[in-house]
Amino acid sequence: MFTQAAAIQETTSDTMTDDAEQFADLVKEHQAMVFSMACRYLRNRALAEEIAQDVFLQLYRKLPTLESPDHVLHWLRWVTAHRLIDHSRQEKRRPQSPLEDVPEPAAAPDPTERADPLLSNMLRDLVAALPENARVVMILRYQEDLDPMDIARALDMPIATVKSHLQRSLATLREKLSHKKGVGV
Amino acid sequence: MNLDDELRAALRREDPSPGFAQRAVARAKSNPEPTMAIPIFQPVRISQMIWAAALAAMLVIGLTATSEYRQRKAERAGRDAVLALRITAEKLNMTRDKVLKREEN
Repeated sequence: MFTQAAAIQETTSDTMTDDAEQFADLVKEHQAMVFSMACRYLRNRALAEEIAQDVFLQLYRKLPTLESPDHVLHWLRWVTAHRLIDHSRQEKRRPQSPLEDVPEPAAAPDPTERADPLLSNMLRDLVAALPENARVVMILRYQEDLDPMDIARALDMPIATVKSHLQRSLATLREKLSHKKGVGV
Repeated sequence: MNLDDELRAALRREDPSPGFAQRAVARAKSNPEPTMAIPIFQPVRISQMIWAAALAAMLVIGLTATSEYRQRKAERAGRDAVLALRITAEKLNMTRDKVLKREEN
């Protein structure tokens, strides 16, 4: 017999399945962005996965209030960036053993990569050594290919500050590259 | 390649380990509600609580001082009003005496 309770249960179950499916699709769509931001920022894949998982759990709870795919994307960038900055500030306060300072080895270089893998690795290390806000700005600029206006919007930061972070970071990278390896870029 | 291109290549997106999405979905399903354990005694919260307590204390002291000042002002106004009434009454008495004396003469 098809009772009202059964109908409600079926609807609830369908909604939950729909939510889970929608969430799974969103994770698949954005996992590379969130994970890569964390990975480039932290230079530690295991920790990056852990933080990316936390961000997606937060997304699942927040999902009913997010209105559009653009809103989801903006929200994910904002939460990931601030989560990473908070994490590194907490790490600074916490006394660390020397072993924790050693970054995990990066992923094996992509054989199809056209750029110099050694230079890429060095650049990733140099970016990871930048101050917190500058690091996030550089990641959004060069990983996500956002222009300064979009970065300012994504981080709730004045555009002048974003431009200043970019200029200073690029100058620092150029200087360090020329000092360390004599690389002319 | 110039530095911009090198940075784009170095910071290109990368996929997490296989099964990441499944793990995220499983974790979300098993833990959908936010945990209620709020870390009240974190250093930031303690400093916020100190600021809030100081602000509340200043507010209470300010309100008390204001109400005392208003009370004293009201008392002084009351005393002044009584004095003014006495002076007026004396002057009226004197005037009445003068009027009575003229009528007798």
